[in-house]
Amino acid sequence: MNGRWGGRLGVGLLVAAVLLPVLPLVVWSAAGTWRYPDVVPGRLTRRGLDLVLDGEVVSATATSLLIAVTVAALACAIGLSAGRAIGLYRFRGRRLVQFLLLAPVIVPGLAVTLGIQVFFVRYGLADTVLGVVLVQLMPTVPYAATLLGAAYANLDVDYERQARTLGSGPLRTFLTVTVPLLRPALVTTALLTFLISWSEYILTLLIGGGQVTTLPLLLFAAIGSADRTAAAALGLLVVLPPVLIVLLVARRLRGRDDAWMGLARG
Amino acid sequence: MSQPVVSTGPTTRQHAVRRGVPERLRPLLLLSPALLVVGVFFVGGVAQAVLQSLGRQPFLGQTDWSFDAYRATFADPAFRASLTLTLRVVVLSTGLATVLGVAVALLVRRHARGPLTTLLQSTLAVPHLVGALCIGLLLSPSGFASRLGTGAGLVDGPQDFPVLTNDAFGWGIIAEYTWKEAPFVAVVALASMTPHVRDLEGAARVLGAGRWRRFTSVTLPLIAPPVAAASVLVASFAAASYEVPRLLGQSFPATLPVVALQRYQDTDLLVRPQAMAVATIIAVLSLVLVAAYLTLVSRLSRRSL
Amino acid sequence: MADPTLAARLDVSGLGARFDAVTAVADLDLSLAPGSFTALLGPSGCGKSTTLAMVAGLLAPTTGDVRLDGSSLLGVPAERRPVSLVFQKPLLFPHLTVEQNVAYGLRVRRPAGVGTGRASRREVATQVEAMLERVRLGGLGRRRVGELSGGQEQRVALARALVLRPRLLLLDEPFSQLDADLRAEMRALVRELHDEAELTTLFVTHDQDEAVELADTIVLMLEGRLAGEGPPETFYAAPPSLAAARFFGATNEVHGLVEAGCFRGQGLLEGALTVPTTAPHGPAVLVVRPEAVGLDGEVPALVTATRFAGSDVLVDTALPDGQPLRVRVPLGARVAVGDRVSLALDPDRCSVFAQEAER
Repeated sequence: MNGRWGGRLGVGLLVAAVLLPVLPLVVWSAAGTWRYPDVVPGRLTRRGLDLVLDGEVVSATATSLLIAVTVAALACAIGLSAGRAIGLYRFRGRRLVQFLLLAPVIVPGLAVTLGIQVFFVRYGLADTVLGVVLVQLMPTVPYAATLLGAAYANLDVDYERQARTLGSGPLRTFLTVTVPLLRPALVTTALLTFLISWSEYILTLLIGGGQVTTLPLLLFAAIGSADRTAAAALGLLVVLPPVLIVLLVARRLRGRDDAWMGLARG
Repeated sequence: MSQPVVSTGPTTRQHAVRRGVPERLRPLLLLSPALLVVGVFFVGGVAQAVLQSLGRQPFLGQTDWSFDAYRATFADPAFRASLTLTLRVVVLSTGLATVLGVAVALLVRRHARGPLTTLLQSTLAVPHLVGALCIGLLLSPSGFASRLGTGAGLVDGPQDFPVLTNDAFGWGIIAEYTWKEAPFVAVVALASMTPHVRDLEGAARVLGAGRWRRFTSVTLPLIAPPVAAASVLVASFAAASYEVPRLLGQSFPATLPVVALQRYQDTDLLVRPQAMAVATIIAVLSLVLVAAYLTLVSRLSRRSL
Repeated sequence: MADPTLAARLDVSGLGARFDAVTAVADLDLSLAPGSFTALLGPSGCGKSTTLAMVAGLLAPTTGDVRLDGSSLLGVPAERRPVSLVFQKPLLFPHLTVEQNVAYGLRVRRPAGVGTGRASRREVATQVEAMLERVRLGGLGRRRVGELSGGQEQRVALARALVLRPRLLLLDEPFSQLDADLRAEMRALVRELHDEAELTTLFVTHDQDEAVELADTIVLMLEGRLAGEGPPETFYAAPPSLAAARFFGATNEVHGLVEAGCFRGQGLLEGALTVPTTAPHGPAVLVVRPEAVGLDGEVPALVTATRFAGSDVLVDTALPDGQPLRVRVPLGARVAVGDRVSLALDPDRCSVFAQEAER
């Protein structure tokens, strides 16, 4: 039938459009020489791999991981607390709070960070990992609070009450009942905030002042240099963890439209 | 255990909260860490940017109020070129991403939904920085597309290939935003095409609506709110991203975020208020875009059939 | 009487639907006379909604044909069939008002589709208004659909379907999500609309009371197949199959043997429970409704329980071989647990089925 072939053509075009830009990245990462008109490289090299295993890159990877894990953990903790208030309580000013938590999603972080950098300098937080972690809470906490707020809103509090009547204390109830019930949302939130932090460039640059070297900073420098193989290898190193994570949890994320709002900003 | 009536009354999670804090203050206490982050960094940052743009730089000993920075900014032809470029990039990227995203969602819904959704989702996880690199390697004069063109006999070398990166129009930037954000819009649109929407389309079908009519009169109005929200995010991101236009655009005219950072990094500290003015303008521009867009969408969705 | 120019004849032949390994509908034959009201009855998952979807054109059949007044509908897309379908859920378009919902079909249909052609704006408004009056929703046209109650929503859905003057009206359990009171009211409305609008109606339901009350003809569907067809009384007096009897609540099943045209309860004393039958020789099941058994006969039984059931009393008895038999007796009857009674089975109201048929 005509429609079926049209559909197949459409699907083919879609897959090509999504994957075509990634193809040169993958090829360049292993290309030793790739002269202009050639469609395939003349010689392959393992220079890209060596570069990725180089001390500077390894330490930047460690820094990136440290920052992203810390940011994700803090954002989840703050989001759990705020989400409970948003999801379970009706209080005056609730809409204002929701608006405030949404504003950082809409107003660009660059504009805000240019303004606030003087604070970080003044309080000795500029050029430190702690400063970078703190500034990255700005784009992550709103998502965490909103996602976990939605999860809390769907939570049946009677489970907690039941646990309390069975003799469980508040903290124990939280850990053994609430957290397991919120687990799917928590996992999503943790991954999302991790990915936002892992991809962040400009906030890290402004507050880290070049002293806190994360992978995106190295990648940016490599893109600026003429070494396409190095840039492509670093690019792959930056892109693989997020893509792998998404592939692993793809089914869990399917349909959670709000969760994707954050990723788009990566 | 008695539950106060002020709230929906969940049991609370901390002894300190339960024992020491009155019920009505609990939400505030629970919210305080998040509000601290948003309040200090975000509100503080916005306030600082505005104040510094008005000439107040207490840490640098400047305490006079003035609109000089704005006056200088708006008088600068370079700024006006940047503003035009930024608006062009925002409008074209958002429009393309939205239209293509909805089209892709319709396509994916009909064919191989599972694998294609995963493909779209994995592009969402690609950082824009890497996206910029990919588009650069693909579209630059000596990039992959140019090589393919030469191989096919369509292009006579790098000089002959159309300038698509670091160009004056901003094609490279637009290409990157569209490539990254169309899948995002598609994923949101797909998520909003629920079984209920499908049922309503079935109802429209039985009532005599053909395919196009079903799309315009049922599907589109129903998915419009979430898709519009996604578009708003795309627009505000396109207006404010730094690394993509910095890597794929020209340094003059550059988009506003690039200009802001150029002025911010100027060795002459007296230029800094201008950087803050540009930052403030970006923030206002984002808000105006969002407001205009949401008004438009709500007006469109209220008009029926 | 139905106007033959409007109400259509529906013929379904050899209709089948298969999804991968699952057969939802198999070899279904069905004929609806113009102007008839037919209930397609069956438990959930029996394939009745699938059948309806195929008639409406929302699903392409794997086998068979659907003909309207003799011409095949296969290949005609749903939007071009002169058929209206009211779904289980109201499925009102949430972004439109009540009026706009009812007008939807009139505005979007193509000239060759449902009805006779695209109508002018004023005609549409007049028709919509009149239709809303007929479903008792006059004056509510400007409401948003979110402001309606469940019954009102389903009435809008009915109006939206009927305003197109369909030649065949399909109803897919349209009242199953309403309260009992509302359901009764809606049944009456549907029957009334059917009668005055000269429709051929096919009504899908899992509720036998609803089918019996509404329909001229009941088509029973079990596990994707036709399991009986006829006027409602048939299913009580002479159910076409054991499964049909069970679906209509004939709770008594006595196992026995058919020998020489006579059913004999197994293990019973010679001559005790015997019913003449045309069922073939061999193991068989006798089915009888509790109300078709009296206490003035010669089948010995022991009363094991009695239960007050409002207008009468349900008496559970055990036959000599232990098989249970329930009897419905008038309120005055004096029966107590432990009594020995003699049951009378009305042979005309007993049905006997060969044992294999049970599968």
